[in-house]
Amino acid sequence: MTPPIPKSRTPFYRNVRFISWSFQLVVFAVVAAFVYWLFGNYQRNTASSGIPTNFTFLGSPASFDIPGADFEPTESVRNAYVIGVLNTLRVSIVGIILATILGILIGIGRLSKNWLVRKLSTIYVEVLRNLPLLVIITFTFLGVVLQVLPRIEDSWTPLGIMVVSNRGIGVPWYSGTSGLSLIVVFFVGVIGWWLLARWRHLVADRTGQPARAFWFGGVFFLAALVVGWIVLGGRIILPMVDGKRIAGGIRVDPSYFAVLIALVIYTASHIAEIVRGSIQAVPVGQGEAASALALSGFQRMWNVVLPQAMRIAIPPLGNQYLNLIKNSSLGAGFAYFELTQVTQVTVGNGSPAVPAFTLALTFYVVLSLITSAFVNVANRRFKLVER
Amino acid sequence: MTNAALTGRPARLWVRKNLFRTPLDAVLTVVFGSLSLYVLARLALFVFVNARWEIIERNLKLLLVGRWPADQLDVLVTSVVVLSLWGGVIAGIVAGRQIRKGTSVIAGMTPTQRLSDLGRRFGLVLGTSLLLLLLTNSSGPWLMAGLMLVGGVAGTWSGRRIGVRFLSPIVARAGILIMAAVPIATYAYMVSAVPLAQWEGFIFNLSAAAAGIILSFPLGVVLALGRRSKLKLLKMVSVVYIEFVRGSPLYVLLLLANVSLEFFVPASIAPSKVIRAMVTFTIFTAAYLAEIVRGGLQSVPRGQEEAAKALGLTPAKQMRLIVLPQALRNVIPAQIGQFISLFKDTTLAGLALGIFDLLAGAGVITQQDDFRGQGLIIEALVFVGFLFWVGSFTMSRESQRLERRLGVGTR
Amino acid sequence: MKSIKLLAVFAALMLVLAACTSASETTTTAAGGGEQGSLLDTVKARGTLNCGTRDAFPGFALLTDTGEHVGFDSDFCRAIAAAVLGDATKVKHVDLETADRFTALQSGQIDVLVRNTTWTAGRDGNEGATFLTVNYYDGQGMMVAADSGYTSINDMDGVIICVAKGTTTEGNAAAEAARLGLDWEVRPFDDTDLIQQAFLAGSCDGWSSDSSQLTGLRSVYPDGPESLVILPEVFSKEPLAPAVLDGDSAWAQAVNWAILATIQAEEWGITSANVDSFLSSDDSNIRKFLGGTFTDSDGNETTLDPGLGLPTDFAYQVIKQVGNYGEIFERNLAPLGLERGVNALWNDGGLMYAPPYR
Repeated sequence: MTPPIPKSRTPFYRNVRFISWSFQLVVFAVVAAFVYWLFGNYQRNTASSGIPTNFTFLGSPASFDIPGADFEPTESVRNAYVIGVLNTLRVSIVGIILATILGILIGIGRLSKNWLVRKLSTIYVEVLRNLPLLVIITFTFLGVVLQVLPRIEDSWTPLGIMVVSNRGIGVPWYSGTSGLSLIVVFFVGVIGWWLLARWRHLVADRTGQPARAFWFGGVFFLAALVVGWIVLGGRIILPMVDGKRIAGGIRVDPSYFAVLIALVIYTASHIAEIVRGSIQAVPVGQGEAASALALSGFQRMWNVVLPQAMRIAIPPLGNQYLNLIKNSSLGAGFAYFELTQVTQVTVGNGSPAVPAFTLALTFYVVLSLITSAFVNVANRRFKLVER
Repeated sequence: MTNAALTGRPARLWVRKNLFRTPLDAVLTVVFGSLSLYVLARLALFVFVNARWEIIERNLKLLLVGRWPADQLDVLVTSVVVLSLWGGVIAGIVAGRQIRKGTSVIAGMTPTQRLSDLGRRFGLVLGTSLLLLLLTNSSGPWLMAGLMLVGGVAGTWSGRRIGVRFLSPIVARAGILIMAAVPIATYAYMVSAVPLAQWEGFIFNLSAAAAGIILSFPLGVVLALGRRSKLKLLKMVSVVYIEFVRGSPLYVLLLLANVSLEFFVPASIAPSKVIRAMVTFTIFTAAYLAEIVRGGLQSVPRGQEEAAKALGLTPAKQMRLIVLPQALRNVIPAQIGQFISLFKDTTLAGLALGIFDLLAGAGVITQQDDFRGQGLIIEALVFVGFLFWVGSFTMSRESQRLERRLGVGTR
Repeated sequence: MKSIKLLAVFAALMLVLAACTSASETTTTAAGGGEQGSLLDTVKARGTLNCGTRDAFPGFALLTDTGEHVGFDSDFCRAIAAAVLGDATKVKHVDLETADRFTALQSGQIDVLVRNTTWTAGRDGNEGATFLTVNYYDGQGMMVAADSGYTSINDMDGVIICVAKGTTTEGNAAAEAARLGLDWEVRPFDDTDLIQQAFLAGSCDGWSSDSSQLTGLRSVYPDGPESLVILPEVFSKEPLAPAVLDGDSAWAQAVNWAILATIQAEEWGITSANVDSFLSSDDSNIRKFLGGTFTDSDGNETTLDPGLGLPTDFAYQVIKQVGNYGEIFERNLAPLGLERGVNALWNDGGLMYAPPYR
């Protein structure tokens, strides 16, 4: 008698799906247990030392001053955080724009036919890239801002519209119009720009003239801004020296200046390498074809090579932008009140450390994710459509 | 082109071609030329005339090794000599293997070419070491440097003898284990002599960077595998970790580790600042390494994995034996890049945690009685910046060389 | 959109975290930390004292090129080690940042904090620290350039004031400006050298800090001390005192008496040079203080042990190895140009007073 053939069914412990899910659950459980352990410790320790774990400290008065901002020590910590966030954005956005421009110039310089320009660009990149950023910021603060810029008593006033001193740089700024009407003017400008660009493209398609949509639109945009503003009764306030400080206009804080310069020159050295690599990755034939069409050197670079190079450069450029945003936290050591400095000072004044730093970290992570979302969109938009 | 240009001497021709090709070129040359001459003159004036290097001379030991106990200096000397021997052996084995495989570049060089090649690669480091030695006024460091040199050369010599031979897998495996054990044993030897909390000065920067990159490696590989995994839960954990850490500034993480770690771990195991810094560096670098390794994994052709599967290897073996070795080999240059960036970032620990590292040392020595209030911070910063620069620059050039050799990106 | 998905996951995580945080408020667990032995025994068993101090603070604590700590605070670390362990060299100086000094105390990284720290109610309470005898009475002042024309802080309106970050100085300056109705812009820096460079370059009008520190900085100013003026106003009380962790009175008493011994010794004129001659003093109080023998009410030769947990000769060790208060002051602070002022002995018009040792 033959035994009955067992039903050929895989036992559950050899089922691939079972194995994979149980493995995952074990890993997840370990991670969760670890996090739970950390969190339990945190609750116990804060409870025993009577340290608050919530965010009520945001409502209490900050009791510190923020240089260069319209902020009273009696205002809440929340407002201080807002100023910190704005200052981080201010140095990051301006820094990203300037670092990109400088980086592209130096990246092109590294491939220049001029021997001196090529060597100097290489030296710039190799020196700046291999120095700790902290050393660079200390240098820009001690060496550039404090040594090069004049005292307030002998401040420079180029064209009479700016004030430059080591207590800050005064820049003319607008005043007198409400924010809403400015926004209206701004949108009129943007829509005009768009319409003009459309029209120029149509003309270009019909007649074969160069479109120059950017220039037409840009000029209209600026004109719309200026005209709209004057019509709305806006004024420009010029900065001037008022005793020991700069009054009127907008004052660029010397610490801001030092941190900005350091971030720009450091990041530009990295961007230059990316740009150089991307230009070299553009097929040589593209440049030769442009030369064959009798384009000038500038046209060849600006209209043919660079657009293709930047397409390759977008993802690594995005990484550099993220680095710049995160590196702006080093401004904390140099009296620049960005987010990290605000957090540090408020913790020093008795705000609970963990919630305060969690808030700062959350902002940085969100800002990073938003930036990489932008980079991804740009990358998809400009990616070469392969046929 | 005029006749004069064509008939000019080579030097003039070169200048014409490389400096004054077009009017714009001429302007650039004149502007940048005079600017760089001015900067060069100012720099030379500072370094050779105006700077007061006495502050560095007197504090050299403090800046480099911090307060490493004087009676334990022999431990330090032994360790660095052992490590240079170890480094020499590895370099020798690599060179020997290349000779065996016939891919060696140096094998075809004449001795003079070899020497100039080595000079180009490591001349800067050697020159800097010589400069530091000249600044000391005792014989100990000279002795140490001599021993290191002897160790390195002897290591390379014997390493090459090993490398050119074909070793049986068992011997090779044992050799790899021994080579991996050497730095760990050295490290244990140093820690048993001087607790980690007392590792200061440049030693801190070097050891924290090394510890960070080595410790983060396993975590980074696991995270990379997790992120590529088809297992959803695993992938989610990895992605959240990687993106959260990559979105956070290292400086803020260090500040957080400084003021709030005792809330999260029991007070009895709250570690010293140096360990705190190393743990933070590890956590931070792991996320970046994970992305680097992920790039490496993507660079391995699919066919490799499929072929491994066809051979009947289990998924774990496919990964361990076929995919991972190729992936990791491809990302060595990127890892060196990460190491350089961590090396520079160790200076943040000085500011955030108050560790006496090389850069923090620059601030401390300018407060000493003999040097206070004289603006000597510039001298101190130039010295600190120079040391970091020499290290980073040499490493980045070596990494570029390696990149060309491995042919990363050319396939 | 991968990033947007990530953002969503992240937001969800934050929500969970917030929920956990608010949940924790309802389920406050009982405080841990049961009965433990005193740090006094721990330190004695360990054989070294972990003393929280700093490394770049002229006069108070400074790292020399040989890696040694010198200064007023460093000497008090040594005095405590001499009292508890009988050896002033058994100190491990732990350098701390301003921001992490109390955390170091709370986590047990250091046994005692002697780091130029102002005794305030908030620190006594919130930071879980117990402050001991004040070893230096300081006050915040303002330093300006001699040619600035300022003679009082009331003249200083619409000016920029530079201060060190994370100290009480920062808040004091803002509060003082508000009190006087002056418009000050207060700029905090991490590093004294940075402030000095900013001040030298004329980037700030005033430099506010503890008077002791200003005097020290003025004495070594590159253009000479006469180019700077410290304004007469002192606008805060800054009693600098060593601190230990709350809830360990045995350890607190031991540290306290190590400091008080230096003051008492100065009152009696006992110095490190002449302390041996006092061992056979006719004054039995002095002999008791130094751990010498005396005849008690029963006629027995004995030494006084007040039960502090310290060796009976702790005061002798402190004075022999480190010196009395006056010596410590002369050695570290007088070279900076600081005068005793309120830090003189009580019988000399100052505030330094030690309870009787009996």
